[in-house]
Parts: sequence; structure tokens; C-alpha cells
Amino acid sequence: MITLTHYLVLSAILFSIGLVGVMKRKNLLMLFFSTEILLNAVNIGFAAVSHYYNDLSGQMFAFFIIAVAASEIAVGLGLLVLWYKKTGSVDLDSLQTMKG
Amino acid sequence: MDHILSLIIFFPLVAGIFGFLVNKDSIRVYGITVAALEFFLTLALWVSFDGNIAGFQFVEHVTVISHFGMSYHLGVDGISLFLVILSTFMTMVALIGLSIKKDAKNLIISVLYLEMTMVGVFLSLDVILFYLFWEFSLVPMLYIIGAWGSDKRIYAAIKFFLYTFAGSVLMLVGILYMGYLYHATTGVWSFSIPDWQLLVLPFNTQLWLFGAFFLAFAIKVPMFPFHTWLPYAHGQAPTIGSVILAAVLLKMGTYGMVRFLLPLFPDATIYFLMPIAIVAIIMVIYAAMVAYAQEDMKQVIAYSSISHMGIIILGTFAINAEGITGSIFLMISHGIVSGGLFMLVGCIYDRRHTKNMSEFGGLAISMPTFATIYGIMLMASVGLPLTIGFVGEFLSLIGFYKVSWIMTLIAGTGIILGAIYMLTLYKRSFFGEITNEKNRGLKDLNGRELVALVPLVALVVILGIYPKPILTPIDASVKKMIVLMEKKAVTQKAKDFIIKVNTIKGGE
Amino acid sequence: MEKYLYIALFAPIVGSLIAALFAQSPKNLFTGIFTSALIFVSFISSMILLNYVDMDKIVHVEMMDWISAGNLSVPFGFVVDQVSVIMMVTVTLVSTIVHIYSIGYMEHDESFNRFFSYLSAFVFSMMILVMSDNFIGLFIGWEGVGLCSWLLIGFWYKKHSASWAANEAFIMNRIGDLGMLMGIFLIYWNIGSFQYDVVFANIVNLDPSEVTWIGIFLFIGAMGKSAQFPLHTWLADAMEGPTPVSALIHAATMVTAGVYLIVRAGEIYILIPEVGMFIASLGAFVAVFAASMALVNKDLKRIIAYSTLSQLGYMFVAAGLGAYWIALFHLMTHAFFKSLLFLGAGNVMHAMDGNLDIKRMGGLYKAMRPTAILMSIASVALAGIYPLAGFFSKDKILEVAFNNGSYLLWGALFVGAGLTAFYSFRLVMLVFFGEKIYEKDGIHPHEAHPFVIYALTPLALLAIVAGFFEHSFHEFTTQLLSDYEFTLDHSVGAMLIFATSAMALSGIAYAVYKYKRGGFSENIENWGVYKLLSNQYYIPKLYEVAIMKPFTALSRFAWLNIDNKIVDASVDLIAKTIYGGGEKARKMQSGNLSSMLRWMVVGIVVLLALAIFYRPTV
Repeated sequence: MITLTHYLVLSAILFSIGLVGVMKRKNLLMLFFSTEILLNAVNIGFAAVSHYYNDLSGQMFAFFIIAVAASEIAVGLGLLVLWYKKTGSVDLDSLQTMKG
Repeated sequence: MDHILSLIIFFPLVAGIFGFLVNKDSIRVYGITVAALEFFLTLALWVSFDGNIAGFQFVEHVTVISHFGMSYHLGVDGISLFLVILSTFMTMVALIGLSIKKDAKNLIISVLYLEMTMVGVFLSLDVILFYLFWEFSLVPMLYIIGAWGSDKRIYAAIKFFLYTFAGSVLMLVGILYMGYLYHATTGVWSFSIPDWQLLVLPFNTQLWLFGAFFLAFAIKVPMFPFHTWLPYAHGQAPTIGSVILAAVLLKMGTYGMVRFLLPLFPDATIYFLMPIAIVAIIMVIYAAMVAYAQEDMKQVIAYSSISHMGIIILGTFAINAEGITGSIFLMISHGIVSGGLFMLVGCIYDRRHTKNMSEFGGLAISMPTFATIYGIMLMASVGLPLTIGFVGEFLSLIGFYKVSWIMTLIAGTGIILGAIYMLTLYKRSFFGEITNEKNRGLKDLNGRELVALVPLVALVVILGIYPKPILTPIDASVKKMIVLMEKKAVTQKAKDFIIKVNTIKGGE
Repeated sequence: MEKYLYIALFAPIVGSLIAALFAQSPKNLFTGIFTSALIFVSFISSMILLNYVDMDKIVHVEMMDWISAGNLSVPFGFVVDQVSVIMMVTVTLVSTIVHIYSIGYMEHDESFNRFFSYLSAFVFSMMILVMSDNFIGLFIGWEGVGLCSWLLIGFWYKKHSASWAANEAFIMNRIGDLGMLMGIFLIYWNIGSFQYDVVFANIVNLDPSEVTWIGIFLFIGAMGKSAQFPLHTWLADAMEGPTPVSALIHAATMVTAGVYLIVRAGEIYILIPEVGMFIASLGAFVAVFAASMALVNKDLKRIIAYSTLSQLGYMFVAAGLGAYWIALFHLMTHAFFKSLLFLGAGNVMHAMDGNLDIKRMGGLYKAMRPTAILMSIASVALAGIYPLAGFFSKDKILEVAFNNGSYLLWGALFVGAGLTAFYSFRLVMLVFFGEKIYEKDGIHPHEAHPFVIYALTPLALLAIVAGFFEHSFHEFTTQLLSDYEFTLDHSVGAMLIFATSAMALSGIAYAVYKYKRGGFSENIENWGVYKLLSNQYYIPKLYEVAIMKPFTALSRFAWLNIDNKIVDASVDLIAKTIYGGGEKARKMQSGNLSSMLRWMVVGIVVLLALAIFYRPTV
């Protein structure tokens, strides 16, 4: 029997993978992947808890997140392409203009 | 006469805003005219003020945020009346004596704005309003020091701002807590001082609130060891800044003590009386000694201000009519005298571009009128009878004598030390042969400077001989306050103390 | 009569203010004559008042309220009674003569007008001091004369030593003033008034210890003004001022204010004989102490200054022992002959081109006979030889000391009388007789203007005859002051008079004998005692080393080390810590996305931990 716990554990594992990716990867593209993993980890959590409580608002929220993630990727990739055209690199360390 | 207080507060502000439209060449005349009008307004206030009424007069009350009891509440009594007049008078005199040409327009507008905040502080009866003006006063001063000061002006201005600001933030916490307590006790919100004065607080609460308010005032005064911003501010500020800073801004601290600490927290006042008095005495002696060691003429006067503020605090904490009346009078007299002295230093600085005493010597030969006026101001500063300086000092010390004779004796050495540093300054700068050729042929005071200084000299002498018109209204309000303190004190010890220090043993 | 009171009081200040208008203009004879005339008017008014008070009437006016706060109320009130009128007459008489004298003395000074302004202001302050009917009014005058003394000692402000001496005098006086203020405070909180009549009426109800403290504090004030040990050093240094100033302020009037205070407050001191005894002992000590310094000094004016100090000691003996009228009497006679002596010295000084060393004078009798005669009269009076004024007043003081059973005090005063006679005639002999040493310096002495000499004659006359008024003076003043009971036998009294006179005469004789023969040999100057005396017992040195230098050093230490390095540094330290923290924290803002993301994760973890573990109790 697959219980809520399993879903939440999976969500946590995915979230951790995403988090490590966010912290470790230097490639902007990889960063987007990691963010997607993070968001989907949360989506799994939402969907599972929503099912558990028989409350659809959680699943609705998951859809919301998917939509937001899609638009985020669209804008993000656009910026990324622009950045690549300008500097020829998608390395994170090349983005340092905000240094205080 | 209904809205004269609002008029007095906001006239300089409005005039200041219109000042932006005034031509650069006529701004000086404009500024002096505005300040003079303002001064005459306060004089009109004095004329219509009834000296026999101890309570607040010309009260204006408009509710602003009724939900939290915050209101636009103004009023004047004997304690604040003369501080208001002092503010407008010194502003006027300082503007007349102004010799800065660079960006004079902005400077004059800053000064007018500063005048509004000073008057506002003394006239506000709503604590939030009071706090507003209290903090606003920092801004123009920050500009005046920071923009027209000498070399280290930015450091001095920021130090002045942050230091005093840090203190007042704590006061804000105290104000809010006090407002909360008022609501908790009476069920209604009020930030009005007359309401607060009727609130009897438990002893422990008083101690905490006293501490919060006291720190803000102590930094403003400034009390030892929070005084180090003052020499920097004075040292760097332009003459007009020093004059207003010494004459009025410092008095806001001591005014706050009389207005808030004493009537709101009588038990805490008496509980903390001795430590504060000891600090005040340290202040008197220590600042006098440091003043003696200075090389810079302006710093001597800056430190002497600290020393005199110590006497004011002693008088305030004597908790008897003699002492408190004396301390308020001393605030006024010190305002006039130290303001005058700073202006005099400004006169010589304009000529020689130095304030260092070792550069001077023999000035009495080249500038006899300057030396005479300086001498009169100096004698008032050391508290010679028949000058304005004596009355307040005498009353403050006689008041504190009842609290502790030995401490009065120690504080009294201030009058000896005062003579030492002031006479040394005078000897080094004015007496002797002219050793530095630059001092030969210096021009004596010009018409503008005389117009600014002669009224001060006249006041020094007139109020020294006949201080009664000022003392009577102050005294009436102070007596009322002492009765209030005695009534609302919660501990028997405080009640006994207040009665003890207000009675004369034996005789009549 | 009030009219005359106001004229006597305000005439000098009118003169002073009008002279002050000319302060910056060149010499104007008008100011000198005008101020002198006004002082003379004041003198005439005082005489009229004297005559009026002699009819057992007292003038008492209250001009206006001055300070009132709380229970305190001080009016400007003035009283002319037996004591104050004596002081008024003495002050205005000597002042008139000094003013006229100064017209001649200061004729070549560029600040002629300023001088008269100050001098008249001094007379005004002194009049307030003596005429006030309360302690605060007295204090006004007290500080006022201090101010004028400061102005006048430092009159030649270009001279470093003059302005130094002026500051010293002012500061020393301030020490005394603080004591006096404390006494006044104590009176206020015990009696609630400063008026003499109220205070004296209620002083008996007070706790004796309080009265003692009042007495001590007031006497500290008197010590400062009258230059009693240990606050005496300023008086000799004050001789830097112009000579008329020394005559008026530092001999005849201001320095006697301390004695006046004790006499005025006699009703307080009569209750505390132990304090009185202390005053008398200190007075006797100063009488001998100062006289001993006068023995060896070479400075013409300083010798007379020490003599003044010594005579003030005599006055304090009388006042301390309760013989108030005798103290006042000696104060008056002393004012006459001492100012005469000083003014004569001024003539000598002018003749000597400002030189004051008596060893460089000698044989001036030929050149300036009137001055020599006047100064000799004054010296004889000072020495206390019958029938001159000093005899009557000084002998009375010795009698009081003996009568009181204080034989030690009497002994001291007795020795002092001998010393006084000796140094007075040492001065006269060295200045006016013997070899003309000044010729070596190429000086051609000249006598002062005739009008100056004529101006001095009234003083000389009074120095001679004032003693004969003893009885009427006694009767007059004891209407107000408590009388002093002599219990001595007449024969003992006569013996004492004889002994004292003999002592004085032998002092004179010794001086004349010794200096006729060329004085003491030079090697006397190498004696330890001589060095001790001529260095004023090393007291000024001691003050410099033990007080002034440490004070300066401490002040500098307080400023440089405490204020700058501790107090201000700790404030700056707080500011620097905050700045430094910001500086360090700034590194977090590296602009690198991945490190920012790491910080974000840290933040999430911290917030999560807080959310899980922190549970507020409410």
C-alpha cells in the first residue's frame, strides 16, 4: 500500500535533489532543470496532500504552479539565449554585476 | 489670539517655503524680516500671557487620529514661554549676524525650518507631536553642519545625527509604552501631556520609563559621558549653527526633563536623583577642566556649555521651586550668553580664519569694542552678579543646597573653575602685546555684528538687574508642578523628600 | 534723606558710565574731573547722612525686587546706619582723593578715560557692598569690587605680569566667594531671608552647629577678599596695577571688606566665640607673617602691600575677639594712613621713572620734600606713635587681646608692632635718606604736581588727628554694634600702652640707627632666613608646583586621555563595530547567483528550525 508518507518522502527526496542542484550547478541551464525539479517536488506534495484531505484546492494549486513554471521557463530561457548571444557563456559566475 | 501658537509654529515654515522664490540677493533681508516678525509674534504672546495662571494657556486642540488619541495639541505655560521667546530671539540675532555668502538661501531656509521645529518642541502638548518636532529638528541641523561646516563637517554632522537619534528612538519606545499604559489604566487612548501628568504609575514601571526618556534627554543635554558629539558639532558647525545649537537645541534636553521626567515619574526622579546629581557634578567639574586644556577658543566655549548644563541639571533635580525656577532661568541665560560667545568667536574667525588661541594675543589693542563685548559676555558666563548668568546659577545652587550641601560645595567649585578657564582664555587672546603681526590692524566689529551683539549685551545686563518679569511666570508654573509631583508620588519616601526640600527650617 | 542715599550710591556709577563713553577716545581731562566731582558729591552726601545718622536715625530704603522664586525673595535694599555710614564716608573720602591724585598720576597714560571709568565703577561696587541691607546685596558689591579689581590690576593689560596678577586675584577671590555663597545658602535654608535684621533676629534660635558653619563659611569669603592666609598671595601680586589702585582698592577699601563683613555679621559671630578665636588667631598669625615678609622685600609697593596684609590681621584679631567697633576704627584710620603711604609711594615711583627697588633710591628727601614729609607722617601713624591715628586704634587691639586673656595673640601682635615700626622706617630711610644711589642710574627725580600734594593733605591731616575721635566713634558705632567690655585695670592698660609704644619706638630707632650707617651688610642676603622671607616662605612657588601645574596636567590628561581616548573612543568604537559588521556582511552580496542561492537555503533552514523549535508561550 502506498501511503501519504511515501509521496511526501518522494517529494522530499526530489526537493533535496533540486536544492543540491540549485546550490551546486554553475550552468544556468542546469539551474533551470533544478528549479523545475524543486517545483515538481512541491507539486507532488500538493497533489498527495490534496488527495489525502479530499480537498481539490491543493491540486488546483499544483496546476497553478505548472503554469507559472512554464511561463518562468519561457521568460528565463529567452533571457538565457540573450545572455548567451551577448557573452557566449551560460556560466553562473559570469553574472556578477550585482556585487555589493 | 486664538491660533497664535499655530501661527508661531508654522509661520517660519511657510515663510521658508516661500523663501525658495526669493531672489538670491535679498534672501538675507527676507530671512531677517521673517525671523523678526516671528520674534514679535512671540513677544505678542508674552504680552497677552497671563503670568498669574500656572496652567497651560492659548491651548489648541484638534483630534487627528481619534482612534489612538493622537491630536494636534498645543499650549504654553511659564516653563515653555521663555524658551519659545529665546528660540525666536536667538534665531533672529543669529540671522542678523550671519556672514556666510555661499548658498545663503538654502542656509537661511534651513534655519527657518529649524526655528519651526524648535518652537514646535516647546509648544507641543501632544507627545507624538513633540516627538515629531524633536526628530525633525535634527534634519536642518544636519544640513547646517554638514553643508556649511569646516573640514570634518561630515563626520561631525553624522555623529550629531546618529548619536541624538539613537537616544530618541529609545524615547519613542517609552512614549508608546506609556501610551499603552494609559490605555490600559483608563480605557481611552491619549498622548496628551496634561492627561499623562494625571496618571499615577506604579514604582517599577516608573523606573523603566524614566530610563527610556532620560537617556534621550541626557544625550541631547549632553550629559557626561554622552557629551562627545557636542565638541565635534560645535567645532565644525558654522557660527550660526553653533549659536542655535548651544542656545536652544541643548535646552530641549533639559526642557524635556522638566516637562516629562519630573511630573510624570516623581518617584523614579527621586529614586535616581543622587546618581544623576553625581553625574551632573562630574560634568560640571570635568567639563570645566577639559575646557581649560583646550587650544581652540570655540572648544572652550563648547565645553563650558557642558559645564553649565550640569548646573542646570542640578537645579532641576533639586525638586524645589528655587532650584527648578533657577534652572529654567539658567537655560535662558545660558542660551543668550553662550549664543553671544559663539557669535563673538565667529566674528574673530571671519577675520583671522582660525580659532586657535595661540594665534591671538593682544586683540584688546586692535579690537577694543570686540574685547569689551567679549568681556561682558565672559563675566556673564562666570556668573557675576547683576549679569544674567548669576541669577540662574545662584538659584540652581541654592535649590540644590537643600538636597545636599556637600554636593553643592563640590559643584560650586564650578564657579571657580569657570573663572579659571574663561579668564585664561581672555588673557591669552586679548591681553599682552600683539605677537602675531596678522592681529595688528584687524577691523573692529562692524555695524552688522554690533546690531546682532548689542541686544544680547543689553539683555545680559537688563535681565541681570531685573529678572522678575521672567521669574514670576516660571515660578508660578513650577510651583504648580511641584504640588502635582507631591500629590501623585506613590512612595512615602518621595512625598517626604519633596516636602522636605521645599521647606525652610525655623525662622519665618 | 533717601535722596542723599541715592545720590551717594549712584553718583559714582553715573561718572563711570559717562567716562566709559570716552573709553576709546584719547585722553580727556574732563573725564577725570567729572568723575572726581561726582565722587566728591557722593562724599558730601555721605557726610550729610553721617550727620543725620548721628541723630539716632537710620535710613532704610527698598528700591525694587530683584530675585524672587519659590520662597526666596531678594530686594535691592539699602540701609544707612552707624556702620555703613562710617564705611561710606571712609570709602568716598579716600576715593575722592585718589581720583584727584590720579588726574596727576595718570596724565601721560593713553587709557586715561578708561581708568576713571573703572575707578568710579569700583567706588559704586564698594558702596553697594557697604550699603546693602542684605547678604545678597553685599555679595553683589563683593563680586563687583572683585571685577573692578580685576580690571584695574590688569589695567596695563599689555604687560603679561599684570594680566596674570589680575587673574590670580580674581580666581583667589572666587575661592572665598564660594565659601561665602555656601554661608548665604545655609542662612537661607535656616532662616528664609537674607535681610540683616531678620537674620540677626532669628540667628539665636538656630542650632549652634549651624551657626558655626555659617560663621565659618562667611569667614572663608572674608579670607578671600581680605587676603588672609592661605589666600594671601594675590595681594602682593596685585601691586602690578597702577598705584592709585593699590592705594584705594588694595589698601583702603576693598581688602577691608572682609573685616566689614565680620563686623556686620557680628551678631552671628558673637554666638560662636570659638570661630571668633580662630579668626583672631589667624589674624595674629598673618599680622606677624606678613610683617616678616615686609622686612626684607626690596619692592616699594610690595612692602606696603605686606604691611596692609599685616594690618588686616590686626583688624581680624579685634573682630574675632568681639571688639567690633575697634576693628572698624582701625579699618578707618588704616584707610587714611595707608592710602597716604601708597599715594606717596606713587609719587616716588614716578620720580624714579617707574623703578620700585628701594635699594636703588636713597636721599630723595632733598628732591621731594613734601612727599617725604607725608610718607613719614603715614609711617609714624602706621607704627602707632602717639598722637597719630595708628596709636589709638592699634593699641586698642593689643589691649583687647590682653584683656581677653589671649596672651599668645597679644605677644604676636606685640612683636608685629615692633616689626611694623622697623620696616616702615627701613622704607623711609632707604627711600628718602642716605646715599643717592639713583644718580648712578641717571634719574632726575621731580616732585609731583602741587595739586596732587594738596590733595594728599586731608589724608595726612586725618592720619594725625583721626585718633582723637576715638570716643565719639565708640559712642556712635556701639549704638549698633555690641560693645566690648574692658575689664583691665587702668594701670595695666597704661603699662600695655607704654610697652607697645616702647616697642614701636625701639623698632623705629633701630631702623634709623641701622640705616643711618649704611644698613645691613650684603651677606645677610645669603642667610637662610632672609631667603625664606624674600621668597615669601616659598608659598607662591608651592602653589605653582602643587596646584597650578598638577591642575594643568590633570586638565590636559582629562582632555587628551579621558575625553578623547576613553569616552569618545568608546562611542566611535560602537559606530566602528556597526560599520565593520556591515563591511563584513557586504561580502555576502557577491553578486554570484549560486552563492546567493546558498544563502537563501541557509535562510530557509534557519527559518524552518525557528518554526519548528520556537514556540512562544502566549
